Amino acid sequence: MRTSADARNGRRRLRSGLPWLAAALAGAIAASAPGATLAAGNGDAYAGKLTYWFWGESDIPGINKWMQQRIAAYEKLHAQVQIDFVPQATDTLIGAFRLAAQSHQGPDIDTQWATLPTLTPYWEKAAVPISDYVPASETAQWVETSENTVDGKIIAVPIYLIGVPLVWNKQLFKRAGLDPDKAPATWSDFLADCAALKAHGITPFGMGNKDGYFGAWMFAIYLTQELDSLGQIESAIGDTGQFSMAQFGGLLRNLYTMMAELMQKGYLNPDVASLDLNQGWQLFPQKKAAMAFTTDGNVLAWGKAIGEANIGVAEPPRWGHGKLADVYDVTQSSDEFITSWAPDKAAAATFLAWLHTPDNLKALYAETGAFPADKRFPASAITDPLPRQLYQLDTAKQSVWLENYLPPQVDNDADLPAGELITSKSGTPDQAVEIWNRVIRKWRLEQVPAFHQYQAWAKSNG
Amino acid sequence: MARPPRRRRHVPWAYLFIAPAVLALAGTFAYPLIEVVRFSFYSGSLGDLVFVGTANYQGLWEDPVFLTSLLNNLKLLATVPIMTVLALAIALILNAQVAGWRQYRAIVFLPYILPATAIGLVFGYLLEEDGVLNRELRALHLGVLARDWLGSATNVVPTIGSVIIWQQLGFGIVVFAAALLAVPRELVEAARIDGATGWQVQRLILIPQIRRVIEFFMVLEAITILSAIFTYVFVLTKGGPAEASSIIEYYVFENGFENGAIGIASAAVVVLLGLASILIGAYLRLRARAAEAG
Amino acid sequence: MRRLPVVVLQQLLLIGLSLISLYPLWFVMQTALKSRQAYMADPTGLPRAPTLENIIELFRAMPFGRWTLNSLAVVVVAVLAATLIASFAAYAIAFGRFAGRRLFFNLNIALMALPPIALVVPLFTVMVQAGLINTLPSVMLVYTGLLIPFSVFFLVNFFRELPFELIEAATIDGASPARILLRIVMPLSVATMSTLVIVNAIWVWNELLFALVFLQDNSQRTLMAGLTLFQGRYSTDQPLVMAGAFLSILPLVALYLGSQSFFVRGMTAGIGK
Repeated sequence: MRTSADARNGRRRLRSGLPWLAAALAGAIAASAPGATLAAGNGDAYAGKLTYWFWGESDIPGINKWMQQRIAAYEKLHAQVQIDFVPQATDTLIGAFRLAAQSHQGPDIDTQWATLPTLTPYWEKAAVPISDYVPASETAQWVETSENTVDGKIIAVPIYLIGVPLVWNKQLFKRAGLDPDKAPATWSDFLADCAALKAHGITPFGMGNKDGYFGAWMFAIYLTQELDSLGQIESAIGDTGQFSMAQFGGLLRNLYTMMAELMQKGYLNPDVASLDLNQGWQLFPQKKAAMAFTTDGNVLAWGKAIGEANIGVAEPPRWGHGKLADVYDVTQSSDEFITSWAPDKAAAATFLAWLHTPDNLKALYAETGAFPADKRFPASAITDPLPRQLYQLDTAKQSVWLENYLPPQVDNDADLPAGELITSKSGTPDQAVEIWNRVIRKWRLEQVPAFHQYQAWAKSNG
Repeated sequence: MARPPRRRRHVPWAYLFIAPAVLALAGTFAYPLIEVVRFSFYSGSLGDLVFVGTANYQGLWEDPVFLTSLLNNLKLLATVPIMTVLALAIALILNAQVAGWRQYRAIVFLPYILPATAIGLVFGYLLEEDGVLNRELRALHLGVLARDWLGSATNVVPTIGSVIIWQQLGFGIVVFAAALLAVPRELVEAARIDGATGWQVQRLILIPQIRRVIEFFMVLEAITILSAIFTYVFVLTKGGPAEASSIIEYYVFENGFENGAIGIASAAVVVLLGLASILIGAYLRLRARAAEAG
Repeated sequence: MRRLPVVVLQQLLLIGLSLISLYPLWFVMQTALKSRQAYMADPTGLPRAPTLENIIELFRAMPFGRWTLNSLAVVVVAVLAATLIASFAAYAIAFGRFAGRRLFFNLNIALMALPPIALVVPLFTVMVQAGLINTLPSVMLVYTGLLIPFSVFFLVNFFRELPFELIEAATIDGASPARILLRIVMPLSVATMSTLVIVNAIWVWNELLFALVFLQDNSQRTLMAGLTLFQGRYSTDQPLVMAGAFLSILPLVALYLGSQSFFVRGMTAGIGK
């Protein structure tokens, strides 16, 4: 995941499981016949190919298979439509689409991470709002649409929701003389647990940062905890005046100092800099690391690998001191939008909306354990203890995935390299902050239209 | 020029014969080169270009990632003398007609023909912190030598250089071995009779005799390092960690395509062309000399 | 006679060098034949239970067969076109007389050394405007152009070695230059042409930069561009990635074993005479 969470709305309302269920009920009544609504707005007349660049396997192991089965089923229902399914890689997801967007060719439907990576193509006229093609009665059923709402339009459709919990291996905790059922809740707890594990020859925390994504996750999880509001990051990047780059840089410095300390104490796997995020994730299920951050989907896969009883899940230990220190990190992570050059946008929209039919949602949960991003999915369907625990984490609190507030270029050229600088021990926290300053300056100069759009968006969020 | 056919009169067919090539070269080289220089004075994206004068060049100068990339290209030039010395030493051994020299020559040349993409994938795994190389080193109690070859900013450029040497060394060996084989035997025999030792023969007779080939090799390899190692960086590191292994080619790719900043990418290309033209000039000089020598 | 220790030392050195040259290939091959579990347990050992699972999975998980065919199509078209165009140009340089002949020849030599990255951005814009982006003809055109300078250089050097009297005699007999080239010179140049074709084919097969930038559509990728996609998507499945690498080098190794001298002659032609 490079996940995120409820963006602007999240900051205003505290989300809990209860209102969500209530909304689900209301939604189910309001849209009693979603299938009919869909057939009405339909792209059935379209005959031809839809190219779909999809990403999700890294968040939810098994989702590629689910999507391929859905596509096969859809092609059966619409014999004249052929969907060309192209799974994408994490490290080229943004770059490949930006390249395609320059030539206005490539996918008819694309997956990007939520908020800025989705809004930016819309601002650059590479994406069209899906709410122009799908009736409001249907979009009202989708959750977290606020992550991708701009100018009153919904740009993309969410498929699933995931959080990023801390996971720990209870056996390894026991071996280090720690309470296997107690998660480190505070930062000092966390450091103490790491020290105990390390003293017993166990790698405390196993991650991969060759591609920069561990660093990006640390940014998403922990810089949020230093903020008082999302307006602060929007103002710093959009240069709207309330919160300066210098103030933002101060918070970043705290984050990278913390990461450098973890490196220096040897609490991370020594090969963190030479493994990419997905490779680093092999350490936990191989019992080579006692803790990790991962997505809900991977927690379930790892539960199968080492036994659900051996895995503990909890919120990431609290580190920051901002007003947002108590948020969680659930998000739709990725979303699907229609490109501006797709020949038949209605046909693409019909397919995307069809993915939200109850049968498809049920299959998504049954086959991958992912929580569908739809109010029609009943929480009561989640019965196993580990998924229930994850679901409770996901729905208990307000939620933010801060990486989604970065323009893709800033994410790629600052967020990822700055973390790599620390984990490869090739630079100081101050140098990491300097990368941010430089890249944001460069982005403002190079991408003037995108910068102005960001600024306007930041101001409208107030 | 060996044999200009002077007797022939006006020959219109020659123009017809070169016309397709001229067209192809104009389309593939001339037009893009003009365009890239023009783009370097503009900002914005395709179809929406704004003239900005020399701002892109100034931007390059102020961008540490560009300076790192440039510096990395220059650092990697150090592979050229290393490769030359190694290849020459091995070619001299092969030249002594040791048993199996043909087979050895065939084996060391093999890496040179393989796709750098596949090479990069393999070395990516071999050189992980917990990869084959480090595991073997640790198993041999040489753990002190093990390091994070690709994950650390200090090691990554020498590591990429080593992979390049691994792939291109065989080229040098084969070129030098062929040149040595062409050295007249009488020269060597005469020196032997005069009482020269094996080392003296090599230093005083063989190496000077193939000097021109050595120069050629060095210039060609330098051109390669400057302009054709994108694949290694793209596959092995994507310029990481933290842009520490970026090179100009990768900088152009990242800015021109992933960030859609055509202007700055084009300015970087112009800088690269400036550097390359020095080497191309040296190469043309060598060629001209070779042609004169017949 | 050399003293024994020197011979032993030399052999040890050469054996060591050969092992270093071959080990990565060996690693690709044996990893490609292992299951993921077997690789995890022992990445360097011999595959105890060799499996073709990875090779099969390649074709199932990604359009690997399609990519291979694309690469072959691009190789055939670009190499044939470049060889043909270059043959005519080289013949004119070697036997014809025209203004700027020497300049044209030197231009080809200079262009051989030009960084391809310099051309990527403008050619990309051209291909977008021409509607050729994401189609194989985009790379076929560019590769043809890029192959011409070396091919011209290579062929001119060879043509100049041909007996000039042969051309002269045919001309006196009234044969047209095109006829002489196709009927007399070409048949004499079979070995040279084969060398050139092999060298050019390898270059096209191995090319990544243009393929990566021009071919974004999954079904249009060449093998090399496809492989890089594999790397990102399956970085945790080493045997699968190695199976892909293995298939990409297999044709080259086979060709090399069959016709080593062509390779050596062609690939070292930029040096020396």
